[in-house]
Amino acid sequence: MSDSILTVLKFCLLALLYLFLLRVVLIVARELRGSGSIAAPAPRAPVAAPAPPARGSKRKEWRLVVVAPETERGHSYPIDGDATIGRGGGCAVALGFDTFVSQVHARAIDREGTLWVEDAGSTNGTLVNGNRITETTKLRKGDRVQVGETVLEVQR
Amino acid sequence: MAVASFARSRRRAELSLGLLVVAVTVGGYILVALANGPKLPPNVAILLAWVFGLYAVAHLAVRRFAPAADGTLLPIAAMLNGIGFVMIARLAGAGRDYPQQARAQSVWVAIGIVAFVVTLIVVRDVRIFERYRYIALLLGIGFMLLPLVPVIGQSKGGGRLWVGLGPVNFEPNEVSKVLLVAFFAAYLSEKRELLTQGRIRIGRWFVPSPRDLGPLLLAWGMSLLVLAYEQDIGTSLLFFGVFAAMLYITTRRAAYIVGTVVLLVVGALVAYKAFGHVRVRVENWTNPWAHPNGSGLQPIQGWYALGSGGVAGTGLGLGRPWLVPLASTDYMFTSIGEELGLVGSIGVIALFMLFVGSAFRIAVDTVRPFNKLFAAGIATIIGMQTFLIIGGVTRVIPLTGISLPFVSYGGSSLIANFVLLAILMRLSDDSARAEPPAGALAGAP
Repeated sequence: MSDSILTVLKFCLLALLYLFLLRVVLIVARELRGSGSIAAPAPRAPVAAPAPPARGSKRKEWRLVVVAPETERGHSYPIDGDATIGRGGGCAVALGFDTFVSQVHARAIDREGTLWVEDAGSTNGTLVNGNRITETTKLRKGDRVQVGETVLEVQR
Repeated sequence: MAVASFARSRRRAELSLGLLVVAVTVGGYILVALANGPKLPPNVAILLAWVFGLYAVAHLAVRRFAPAADGTLLPIAAMLNGIGFVMIARLAGAGRDYPQQARAQSVWVAIGIVAFVVTLIVVRDVRIFERYRYIALLLGIGFMLLPLVPVIGQSKGGGRLWVGLGPVNFEPNEVSKVLLVAFFAAYLSEKRELLTQGRIRIGRWFVPSPRDLGPLLLAWGMSLLVLAYEQDIGTSLLFFGVFAAMLYITTRRAAYIVGTVVLLVVGALVAYKAFGHVRVRVENWTNPWAHPNGSGLQPIQGWYALGSGGVAGTGLGLGRPWLVPLASTDYMFTSIGEELGLVGSIGVIALFMLFVGSAFRIAVDTVRPFNKLFAAGIATIIGMQTFLIIGGVTRVIPLTGISLPFVSYGGSSLIANFVLLAILMRLSDDSARAEPPAGALAGAP
């Protein structure tokens, strides 16, 4: 077989490989542009820190306000995307005064304007309107979340 | 419903990309034969049927069991696998172990596809890995220890990392790879707040308590110790890199990166002092010409291979890739570089980049922390492994013997990578089915 024919065939093979690469890139680009993605637009951020709310959005922020114990009443904690509730100093909702609260007790998550709460494996559990929750639970304005002996009211 | 049409377009993409994979694989195989004369290889029809059939099986399994999964991962893996197979079949003409390897590889690919399909069927819900994370950890370490067991453990090429059971030899570390990444994803997603925010206060800093880091460091240290004992530097480095990356992805704290780099430097210095085989690798890296016919032979021949390939390569079947020792495994990349040139090797690297990119895209799109970390962990494993071996043979870093994922000859590695691919497809399918945010956020039970 003459060398020149083999060279031409080699370039054809390489061209096929690059055609493949190009098609993959186009498929990925189409999906990234959003026409493809049907999954609810997921937060594009690392696990620990979901994206902050889109800049310029006038959406009102969820807040958790302490209603009990009496001594701490009125403390207000804004929920910015993903907030941990616990006794640990690093928690977004830091309830250092309540010894019945676990270090990291629960999580409040604002996802597309809806507020959810889930227990984070706490010792004493998390209650929503008096009922102990076992899974991620949707919160509405006025709901009461109890962790340890602290009761937080949902406001926005 | 939107999901259905989305899934259809992804599966159509997978099918049409698959036709290109078949064309390149069979075309490459024919080109190898044409190099010896104007005659088609006698078994080309069998090969065509085999490649087409295997791809069809995998594709149909995805349609049935993960219909909304990413449409680019399977074709990219198949393309890499096809190019690898063409090179191994091409080396078969050079004699030695290679003819036997080519026959074995065609069977290993089939077993890899079976493993892919079985994983898709069995792992309907990735939470099984999350629930049984400590079992995954124990099994992972158990598999890692297997080569050290007297009768079945075997040494090959300087490392004791094989297990022989009758006629079948396998590398248990490849299985450990899957299990340990699952464990780390589960553990980190469970403890992410504690690791990010810490519960012990030192001045104005919060640091994670040893109780939270303990199991992690134990698993990590153990795996590295075992691997150092088996002299498998490549896998040690792979684990080290993957866990550092996963810790960083979980916590977004640069302190973990700094910490692991310090650990890496210390570990590397200790290994350099303690192990002769590590010193040889480093000397080969800094100056292979010290022993051009001894330990330096392989890297030097590797460069000659890449150099003689030039920009467009010698053409399939027209180079002499067999002059490099281990041309079908560790040095697979130089074989490709010689016969398909810079253009072909960049193509291969681009395939890996797109694969890793698609895998990270799954991690970004998915909402559940465990799924996110699992996908990111798998993406890191494939990316890091590719970097370690390509960087090794091109002398960017010291060479660590590890296979080029999906491309190199080797059954254990191929099967493990197909299992990882199946898990990625499952994760992708889950996230594309638009899990409601509520379930998505539920942590470990």
